[in-house]
Amino acid sequence: MIEKYAILPCNGLDKCAGVISGELAIRLCESGKNELICPVFYRVSESRYNKMANVRPLLVIDGCQTRCASRLAAEKNLKVSKKLTITEEAKNHGIELKSNLRLQDQEKALVEGIFKELNEEGEKVIMAPVEAITSLHFEYETYQFGKFLFRVPSNPGIYFNENDGWAYIYGNHARVGVTDFVQQNLSDILYFTPPEIGDEIDQFGEAGDIESSKSVFELISPVSGKVVAINEELVKKPEMINENPYEEGWMAELELTDFESDKELLIGFEEYLELMKRKVQELNE
Amino acid sequence: MSETTFMGVPRNKIDWKPAIDYSKCDYCMECVKFCPHRVFEVRETEEIRLIVRNPHNCVVFCRACSKICGPDALSFPDKNATTLRIKEIRKEMEGHD
Repeated sequence: MIEKYAILPCNGLDKCAGVISGELAIRLCESGKNELICPVFYRVSESRYNKMANVRPLLVIDGCQTRCASRLAAEKNLKVSKKLTITEEAKNHGIELKSNLRLQDQEKALVEGIFKELNEEGEKVIMAPVEAITSLHFEYETYQFGKFLFRVPSNPGIYFNENDGWAYIYGNHARVGVTDFVQQNLSDILYFTPPEIGDEIDQFGEAGDIESSKSVFELISPVSGKVVAINEELVKKPEMINENPYEEGWMAELELTDFESDKELLIGFEEYLELMKRKVQELNE
Repeated sequence: MSETTFMGVPRNKIDWKPAIDYSKCDYCMECVKFCPHRVFEVRETEEIRLIVRNPHNCVVFCRACSKICGPDALSFPDKNATTLRIKEIRKEMEGHD
């Protein structure tokens, strides 16, 4: 149930997705249990909304991938509890958005569909990971470049892809996340959007994304499998990825589908360490 | 410069690059600002003001630019087909060793 939230929508008026985000925000506030932040007024008058945004959990509703609402939240240093993007929600609901700016039946149905899902979300039973491991402790090889320190875990069972993702394999499961190369490049990570529990992810498919004020990075999954757990703590504290992207900063746990085949396109820590060094040097050329 | 191989396969043998749908692109140039690999090029004086200039700089399996594209004008090849093709090329290369 979405209750006692501050809602920050995109509210762009020149795109259908923007109009839908505004409409959804109003729908969520109709009950009187949530409060709306007007993005336009917020730009010119911070004091009107700052207190509300800091005491209530914040739901950010972006219309499209330009993510104006997310950017505004980042600009104002707001902590985001939850966010969604209307264009992605439309795809998930099998709705093709057009250029109309007045809501038709299908857009109204989308608003109601998302509203219902948001309210049902709190009631969902979270699937518990099988043979869950509580914490990971790795040994590291390090590479120092200027003031930046890059760690690469060297434990057996750790694999990497060339897209700067890691997977720690144990039994038929894997924990996955990003490497130090990613977190150092993004600098302060502000958001973590996890994959959905139950999602079937192909090797090199998307397993969540992270965002800083500089950029967005999607975790390109080193392995294929079904998502059985996500790092809930990371949703609340995405900065944990900056602290250590390997141990407490893991992003998702997968039940493996075909690791023997996946392994063909993975590398070990020595090879990844060399690759990462080249990437660091290239970036600083 | 970007890596010249991906998993040992020469980058120019892997078909992975963004395709621009010019019927959707509004030339906001967010993708140009976003991509650190200089895949795109702006051509201010041309009718088509944005092109994919360096397709082989594009990081294989990265689709991040399409995620920040407001008008949803960028698309990528099929990931599974690309994965299979990389595996095939690796096998072909092993055969020549």
